[in-house]
Amino acid sequence: MADYQLVIIGGGLSGLAAGIRAARFGLSTLILEQHSLPGGLNSYYHRQGHLLETGLHAMTNFAPVRDKRAPLNRLFRQLKLSRKRFVTREQFGSQIIFPQAALDFGNDPDVLIESVRKAFPGYEKAFIRLVREMEEFDPFSPTPWRSACAFLHERLDCPLLEKMLLLPLMVYGNAEERDMDLAQFAIMFRALFLEGFFRPEKTIREFLNLLLDQYRAFGGELRFRTPVDNITVKDGRAVGVRLKDGTHISADQVVSTVGLPATVRLAAWSADPARYVGQMSFMETISLLPEAAARRLSQDRTILFYAMDENWEYGRPDGLIDPSWGVVCFPENFHGIARPELCQLRVTNAASYERWHRVAHTDYSQAKEDCVEQSRQAVSKIVGNYGGDIVYQDSFTPLTIERYTAKDGGAVYGSPTKIRDGRTPFDNLYIAGTDQGFLGIVGSMLSGVTIVNQHILR
Amino acid sequence: MTRDEIKDLILEIIEDIDEDAEFDELDHDAPLRDQLDLDSMDFLDIVMELRKRYKLQIPEEEYPELATLTSCVNYLEPKLKDV
Repeated sequence: MADYQLVIIGGGLSGLAAGIRAARFGLSTLILEQHSLPGGLNSYYHRQGHLLETGLHAMTNFAPVRDKRAPLNRLFRQLKLSRKRFVTREQFGSQIIFPQAALDFGNDPDVLIESVRKAFPGYEKAFIRLVREMEEFDPFSPTPWRSACAFLHERLDCPLLEKMLLLPLMVYGNAEERDMDLAQFAIMFRALFLEGFFRPEKTIREFLNLLLDQYRAFGGELRFRTPVDNITVKDGRAVGVRLKDGTHISADQVVSTVGLPATVRLAAWSADPARYVGQMSFMETISLLPEAAARRLSQDRTILFYAMDENWEYGRPDGLIDPSWGVVCFPENFHGIARPELCQLRVTNAASYERWHRVAHTDYSQAKEDCVEQSRQAVSKIVGNYGGDIVYQDSFTPLTIERYTAKDGGAVYGSPTKIRDGRTPFDNLYIAGTDQGFLGIVGSMLSGVTIVNQHILR
Repeated sequence: MTRDEIKDLILEIIEDIDEDAEFDELDHDAPLRDQLDLDSMDFLDIVMELRKRYKLQIPEEEYPELATLTSCVNYLEPKLKDV
């Protein structure tokens, strides 16, 4: 008999969700996490007495408790967590800002429809038809890749509006440069424009602890600080994992959530891992500002998606970062969140992993500082100057992301190649998480749930 | 198990899956899915719960037998008669 019926590599959101499903139905399950904290891309760290969240700006896919079929509520049922006791805080409202126009959106799709009507007179009907089409669209039926850019142009024939709609959908979940698969577009369109943003009442830490407690209550085991050296394979099957410290753990089935390139490497399957490395990475800076300053800058907006050029393209920059477009998030701007003395302003810009990789060790701090400054100057044009308000600041680069999340190239949305059914060349080794194709916190957890339902519990 | 006990068992499992399930106006001969607004993922949980509790293996092609409360009872009655 194997040591465990299921070993899951990675204690991020997809790994924890997969673990809860398996443990709930009595499978002996072990999660292996390389770091000392759970969460993967969506974790947290402490600096100078502040808990800072990585990844999370907001959760997408908001749904009220009564809407049973909504992804968020299905997820809670699958994990046997009480949705009623999970307190959600909805966004104030968000904005897409281009030089020529701005669009507002919130958790009610009518806000965006009304905003399109005002900013793009004559395009309202086409946009409403698009919204209806996205409501009906089945993004989960297996279909070949189809260009979201071409689709959107066919439906709207208004280049500026098309770009403006694509910006948030791409920056919150597209692993490809320049274009996006239509199915992925539809998933993101629903998650952001039809369902919307919310936060858990507290921080990601409490949310992760809720998942950990549930997993352990069902008898699941988790080891932190336990990096995996390889997946041991015999006769076309995974038989277990060997840890970096040399220990071997045998398993009937293995689920890997560390992404496609890393899984290819761990199982030494005959493919070139470099082919699967995603190109989109980001630099993020968290600034702490006095409450009054954050209020002045945010003007009651939650997340701003900005581009300073109407010809904006989603892609890896030539320089270390591209401050000309990005995301500005005010994480306290959700209904019912208590405002602390110091509020956060988070800025995310596209960054080039390759360029960061080539920076000499001794120049890294300076390069980071320069980029933080470039980013601040750009964002000041969008929200107003805040240079004098910064009490504390911390930032992370594609190199930081790679180090802490096992995502090759710091590619937060993983590989442009997605393995929808989670299968690998090995019978009992499956991929879950970012490279299975569902993104965001709710999406990655549904990925873990789906892979266990389809392959492990059957 | 008697037919009534099986009925209670199914309702109890559903209640466990969905904290908001309402059974007051449940039509025993109409599909559970539509009435309770459940999806295929929830249905898998009924199957998994039966497996966990009674070591009952229900093959995928027989899942439609669980469509209504009455069909559940008909299908499970012989399988749970010694429980």
